[in-house]
Amino acid sequence: MSQLSGPEIKHTLRKLEFPLCAKEALTKIGQLLISNRTPTLKHMDLALDLMAELVFCEVDRRGNKRPSPLTSIDELQLIDALYDYFNSTANETSRNSVFLSLFSGTTAMMRLGVLSKLVSIAVGVPSPPILISASTWMQQLGNTSPNSIQLAKALVRDYFILAPNTVPKLKILPKIAPQFVANFLTAVANIYFCDGKKDLFTFPPQCLLETITFWIKENPGLCIAAQQMQPSLPQGAIAMEATTPFAGLLKWCILASIYNQDFDLYGQLHLGLISSILEIPVLTTPRAISAQHLVVPAGSIHRYALETHSKLKRGEGGDRQKLFKEDQTLQLCLDRFAQAVQVALSVKCVYGNIEDLFTQLQQLPQNRLLHIVIGTHKQNK
Amino acid sequence: MPVGEDLVNLSDEEYVVQNAKNALKVDPVAAKAWMITAKTLYPHNFAVQFEAYKIEKEAGHVKEAAKYFSDLLGKFQQEPQFWQEIDNVTSALRIEADGNDPEKQFLCEMFKHISLDVQHQLLLFTAERCEDTMEHCRLLLLLLQKFPTAVATYGPRLVDTLLSAEKHSHASNQPVNPYRKLLVCDLLPLLGAENVPVELAPKLLFKLLHKSTEFYLCCLDLSRNSQDPNINVEDPWKKLFGVLELTGRHLGWETYLTNFGNNWTKESYWQKILTFCQSHKALTIEDHSNTKQLLYCLTIFFLHCLYDYNLSLTPEACPGQIQTNLVLIEGFTDVNLPTPASEPKSKRRKGDSDNTLPHITVDKAENKNVINNFLMAVNCWDLFHSSDYLQREFAKVNSHIKLDPWLSKFLIDYAIYKGRDDDALNRLQQINEPNLMLTKNIRHASILYLRKNYTACFENILLTVQSFPITNRGTLSSQLIVGGTQRHLHFLPITQMAVLQYCIKLLTRCIRENLLKHSNSYNELAIGNVLVLLQLDWPQEEDILPSIMEQIHQRGSFSYLLFQAYIINVDILEELTYLWTEQGGQITLDILPHLGQRRIGTRGADKGVKEEIRQIIKRQIARNNEPLDQLVMKFITQERGHILQSLM
Repeated sequence: MSQLSGPEIKHTLRKLEFPLCAKEALTKIGQLLISNRTPTLKHMDLALDLMAELVFCEVDRRGNKRPSPLTSIDELQLIDALYDYFNSTANETSRNSVFLSLFSGTTAMMRLGVLSKLVSIAVGVPSPPILISASTWMQQLGNTSPNSIQLAKALVRDYFILAPNTVPKLKILPKIAPQFVANFLTAVANIYFCDGKKDLFTFPPQCLLETITFWIKENPGLCIAAQQMQPSLPQGAIAMEATTPFAGLLKWCILASIYNQDFDLYGQLHLGLISSILEIPVLTTPRAISAQHLVVPAGSIHRYALETHSKLKRGEGGDRQKLFKEDQTLQLCLDRFAQAVQVALSVKCVYGNIEDLFTQLQQLPQNRLLHIVIGTHKQNK
Repeated sequence: MPVGEDLVNLSDEEYVVQNAKNALKVDPVAAKAWMITAKTLYPHNFAVQFEAYKIEKEAGHVKEAAKYFSDLLGKFQQEPQFWQEIDNVTSALRIEADGNDPEKQFLCEMFKHISLDVQHQLLLFTAERCEDTMEHCRLLLLLLQKFPTAVATYGPRLVDTLLSAEKHSHASNQPVNPYRKLLVCDLLPLLGAENVPVELAPKLLFKLLHKSTEFYLCCLDLSRNSQDPNINVEDPWKKLFGVLELTGRHLGWETYLTNFGNNWTKESYWQKILTFCQSHKALTIEDHSNTKQLLYCLTIFFLHCLYDYNLSLTPEACPGQIQTNLVLIEGFTDVNLPTPASEPKSKRRKGDSDNTLPHITVDKAENKNVINNFLMAVNCWDLFHSSDYLQREFAKVNSHIKLDPWLSKFLIDYAIYKGRDDDALNRLQQINEPNLMLTKNIRHASILYLRKNYTACFENILLTVQSFPITNRGTLSSQLIVGGTQRHLHFLPITQMAVLQYCIKLLTRCIRENLLKHSNSYNELAIGNVLVLLQLDWPQEEDILPSIMEQIHQRGSFSYLLFQAYIINVDILEELTYLWTEQGGQITLDILPHLGQRRIGTRGADKGVKEEIRQIIKRQIARNNEPLDQLVMKFITQERGHILQSLM
């Protein structure tokens, strides 16, 4: 690359107008990060400087924070430059390196707006190179991390809330970018049916639920797609294990009945999920579903049972378990829970503390299938 | 979801399955989730697994049913209930065309979704379990059809099974039977497919070739008289050539001899055979492989030529017309006529001189192929008999394939063609079928004429005329006589006119040649008879008339008592009348029935008699339009005595 020194490079680029300077800076950043096998600290610093000053315009030439960030037009032009840059970078490792450098670290949250818009465009076009990099990004930061969940929320807003008429176009997305969709599903699963501390308990929009159900029904291997393929990372980087969306999405299906959600669609999603679980290849070390994640719905069920119980107590009282048995909503919830646990255990894809899983399941209100499942697996041990 | 008290009393397995069943009617999706749960809970419980399969089947889920069925096949082969279902599948496969039964359709569709390995397993297990041989063979065949890779292993075994099954069945002496059909029509093409490494012993290959040939010949024979779809095989020759190709491929034969291709002609194939003979001049016992290949290729080719020849003996009739058979007979020659152009040399084998070979004619140009077909069959037959060894080998093949009924007709024609009267007579005498009597009699008459046994010839002519095919009238031929000195054979159409004409020509020659035997050759009865016979196809043989008239003129009188009954031809009447006049020589015409008693001197004539003769001639001329065939037939049948007299 150039024999120019850091300051010289900055000096040259500063002469350019935005967004041209951003474009040129991206090229430089790419060269700095990729040209040597492991970029030197000096190169790294220079790259980070270029990002902050010339790409995102967060600081001025002296390194002071700019009072006013990018205007909407500027942002659009930047996204255009990023889109062109990533789309024209064929080498996956290089592309992922630049992508991760641009959008992680301390500045990650700041740049999330730009990232969300970039990925949103990549979904709509669609652009497989950018989706692969976005998938790698989600996975490396953790697909249930706040960053990933923010990205997922942005995409849900763009496609399923603001423009639900574009949904049919998304049907083939799992064929185009299976890893990305898998990571997106894991993140999305954590948005809904969650008792966050301050958030209200929310449910996925109908068209999102329909799309997810369709994706999973048509692509039995989709949920484990991110685990099936390692992302190409810069040298020295440690690949993070992707969490599959199974536990999160199963939770939706299990809890749907007690929250009076559309039974039909959740039933279909539930079937799609357990059918997909059946297709998981048997491994010596299970990695598809964490026991700890799987047991999450138990808490909500307990709370529901308690509330129901207290409501009934005021009435004639009577046998608690008998009341639970006659509560079809509860029984459907427990049946689905038991089915999910049974199928997952049968293909030996559950990892973590299975003993604890059983302990928690045993404390749930009585259900014959759950009883059978627990009995069977205690016996088999 | 129904949660009845009745569920409480069920066992765990039953509880889970029952939940699936209950849900099926109200919520198929939930039912499926229940079933998956049940399947994973009780992987070794047949009832649960089978129920899961049945639920998918009833729901019409082809892919899932296929998957469950495959699982069952892997784990529960011994369950009778499952075997019943396997039988349902295999029987559905065999009648795939039946679109009326939705269950069968479903099972066929399901089979297609089963992995190839499992399909293979399924068919093999079923076949091995099958107690009925035919069923067993059909299933194995189904297996081989679906899995060409299995042919190498199971193909030869199935061949053996079918051969022995045929042998032990009651149909063993019928070449067309279900086992043979399966073997020849279905199995052999599989064995013959390219890139199938099947090992077959030469002896077995020849046996299969025999069986196939016999089968297809029989099919060809039967299909002409039957609409039975079991007998009607599409393009049997192409299939038989295929078997020959298969045999040749295994035995390393020349591909130019075994590969008939799509546009082959008899001529070009015959040239290939000649090429082969040229390059393998000495066919001896030592040269076993080459003899075999020539023998079998030639046999199949010969049979094909023979078949075509036999077909062309009964040419397609135009719509609305009656089909006419052709029969090969000895024709006539006349040195005074121009020699016909002989057929191109290429049709004849080298070494044959043109003079020794008969010239063959047929009336209609569109029937000319009968000649070529015949000559090609003759070429083959000659080649079979060109070496003792080949002849012996062919006799062996013949005994396997039982060709004699096929050959009998041709061998008579061949004997006639070669001028082997004894042989021809011998073979003719073996014919007893009523529908062949007419041709038998004609040919008999023809040969007897050649042997100068004129009275016996006439007896056969009489038999022929008495057994005429009245319905098929036909026309007179113009090719019964050709010029030149070489022998002449003719394919005579079996119609009333053609056969009658031939008989008349035979009889005319019998009478005239008989006349020449006697030193005192003036025989008024014979002359009169010839004049009657000449009328039928007049003026075809008008050249005979001047010499007859000259004889009468020399003798000065002509007495023929059948005159009034049979001579009506104007030309003949004119000639005779001329001789009777003063300018003609004033011969005595003795044609009045009672003239004998009142004979007066030839001159100083009795005016009354003259007038009477004039009147008779006038009357005869007036009858000119009478149908001559009926007149001549009446003559032959009613004047037997008079005709015989002229043949003594």
